[in-house]
Amino acid sequence: MLGPSLAAWTLFVFVPLGLAAYESLFAWDMLTDPVYVGGANYAAIAESGELGRILGRTLGFSVLVVSGSMALGLGLALLLDRPGRFFAFVRGAIFSAYVVSWVAVALLWVLLLDPDRGAAAALLRLVGLPRVGFLTDPHAALVTLAAVTIWKITGYAMVVFLAGLRSVPQSLHEAASLDGAGRIARFRWVTWPLLKPTAAFVATTSLIVSFQAFDVVRIMTGGGPARATTLFVYAIYEQVFMNLSVGRASALAVVYFLVLCVLAAAQLRAWRSQTVGRRA
Amino acid sequence: MSLSRRSFARASLAASLAALGGVAGCKRAVRDDKGRIRLRLWFSLGGRNREVLLEIVKRFHAAQDEIHVEPVYQGDYFESLAKLRTAIAAKAAPALSHVVAEVVPYLARASTLEPLDGYPGMKEIPFVGPLAQSGGFRGGGERPLYGIPLNRSTPLMYCNGDIFAKEGLRPPTTWRELVDTAKALTRPGTRWGHEVPISWWFWVALVGQAGGTVFDEAGRATLGDEAGVRALRLWQDLVHRDKAMRPPPGRDYDAWNVVNQDFLGGRAAFIWTSTAYIRYLEDNAKFPVIAAPLPSEVRASVPTGGTFFVVVKQAPDEEKIAAARFLRFFCEAEQAAYLSTRTGYLPITTPAAAKMRADGFFAKHPNDEVAQAQLANVDPWPWEPLLFRIERDIVDPRLEEAVLLDRDAASVLGEARVLAARPG
Repeated sequence: MLGPSLAAWTLFVFVPLGLAAYESLFAWDMLTDPVYVGGANYAAIAESGELGRILGRTLGFSVLVVSGSMALGLGLALLLDRPGRFFAFVRGAIFSAYVVSWVAVALLWVLLLDPDRGAAAALLRLVGLPRVGFLTDPHAALVTLAAVTIWKITGYAMVVFLAGLRSVPQSLHEAASLDGAGRIARFRWVTWPLLKPTAAFVATTSLIVSFQAFDVVRIMTGGGPARATTLFVYAIYEQVFMNLSVGRASALAVVYFLVLCVLAAAQLRAWRSQTVGRRA
Repeated sequence: MSLSRRSFARASLAASLAALGGVAGCKRAVRDDKGRIRLRLWFSLGGRNREVLLEIVKRFHAAQDEIHVEPVYQGDYFESLAKLRTAIAAKAAPALSHVVAEVVPYLARASTLEPLDGYPGMKEIPFVGPLAQSGGFRGGGERPLYGIPLNRSTPLMYCNGDIFAKEGLRPPTTWRELVDTAKALTRPGTRWGHEVPISWWFWVALVGQAGGTVFDEAGRATLGDEAGVRALRLWQDLVHRDKAMRPPPGRDYDAWNVVNQDFLGGRAAFIWTSTAYIRYLEDNAKFPVIAAPLPSEVRASVPTGGTFFVVVKQAPDEEKIAAARFLRFFCEAEQAAYLSTRTGYLPITTPAAAKMRADGFFAKHPNDEVAQAQLANVDPWPWEPLLFRIERDIVDPRLEEAVLLDRDAASVLGEARVLAARPG
């Protein structure tokens, strides 16, 4: 039974990962002979502080995307979980961003956020606020990319939360109301505990999206300004395809894998404790 | 420890290349159904440059019927290079492509380029020295001929004629004048005095002007030492202290485009960009565009830019012969002059330059004459295989960081020197 899955995993995950780990021990550009350098690639990315910065940026981006998409997704689900055509239309409109390709979304936001000719700049001028370099200010660019990502995936989070909300038995709400619980109390003690598995699912999928971020970086900022938006996947791409360093890119990929392992383990632990808690 | 490329590649790329094997491993069709040799050409020129290249291809087809050039656009210079390297590794590269000058020594060291000296007529092409391999690189003439200049340029200063006339100013000729002029022409909130892409190419120009070189004679990446620091500090001061220069947003050619648009829109009084934009800026500006040589500090200095045609060594012999034939056609005075007059790239052969002069082109286009005269200030690149990696991986991102975040120039370049000395 396990055979086909194991074979696929071996072929598409374990073998490439093993090759990446092997290549990370070499200085190689795909064209000249590789030179064995041991751990020099790891030392180089660690000593220059690049690894820490990339990791910090990626985690920061993930925190923004996961928390933002969850909060907005849940908020919209609670707000729009109502019958009627109007609400159905609004739900559909919000979800539509999720089905548009990343490239189209990124290009659209590049135009909207242009500091001179974009709609955002015009809006700022209209209300008398100073010019903001959403994509050109090193302090603003990462937050802007996170905001665009949240805008794109919130519709998905909303739909999942809507499904979760509809699985909460109405009788529990009625019972809580009879006990005198208000809206907030009902959400705190009835809805949220039952939504936790849904929230964990949304958190997991948002985390995956945030760690895979590439298109949005490639198109909107190219990793800049001043590397402020060079996230993990983009850094790997940049090393191998732009900087001709297969070894350095492989070292980054191995570290990336280890980081994902740690995050996956933490998430698994959280899930397990939740399940055990519920069983107890 | 060094492994042979073949064994390493076999071990490490087996899985990924297996998928490609079906395609790349197949013997490619050298001739089309009309019996003509198919010459694949990967190019990375957009806009008018692309039109000019395609027109030359059209003329080549009209001039003969044995070779059919198949040009394919591959994105900007850096995207195109990434694709070319990958294609070479997968043994699926086209016979003919073009690459930025700094990458030629690297590709040559990797034994991926075909030496062209042995092909009929190639050694006899009368190139303009500083734009060819022989004069564009220190010691470039002592090596086999790998690169044939396609579109070659230098940085050039462009001034808004209306603004300069109104303020009674002349284009700056020294760094001091550059700073003063930029400050005098800045109008906070509406116009920047000066603008230049924060990029390796322009920084190298400044390093040369400050009396430095990015590599010393022994081949060490000095990054200009003190001259490099002075060059970087000039930008930092213009941006942060004098507030007279805008560091254009965007990476690579996005930033170049912003500089052009700011200049055309009157938001920058004088800019540095490539000679390649002479025609574009002249045609689109609503004011007189006045070109001037870059200012000097210790001395006058400009690097060369643009690309060289290269022929990929692993291509079938027939295609390589066809490529050499196309290159000879391309270098004929008619074609070389056509490219130069339509774009702003410098004429690559002396007959082309002579033809343009005889036709009265330089008399009618004084900005092109300025670009021609500036060729006397060209500093050749070192023939260093690491040059491109140091440019892209180490220096370029640090320049942007140092200017935008006002980091200490000496420590930024010191760190870059340490990294440049490491294997990559």
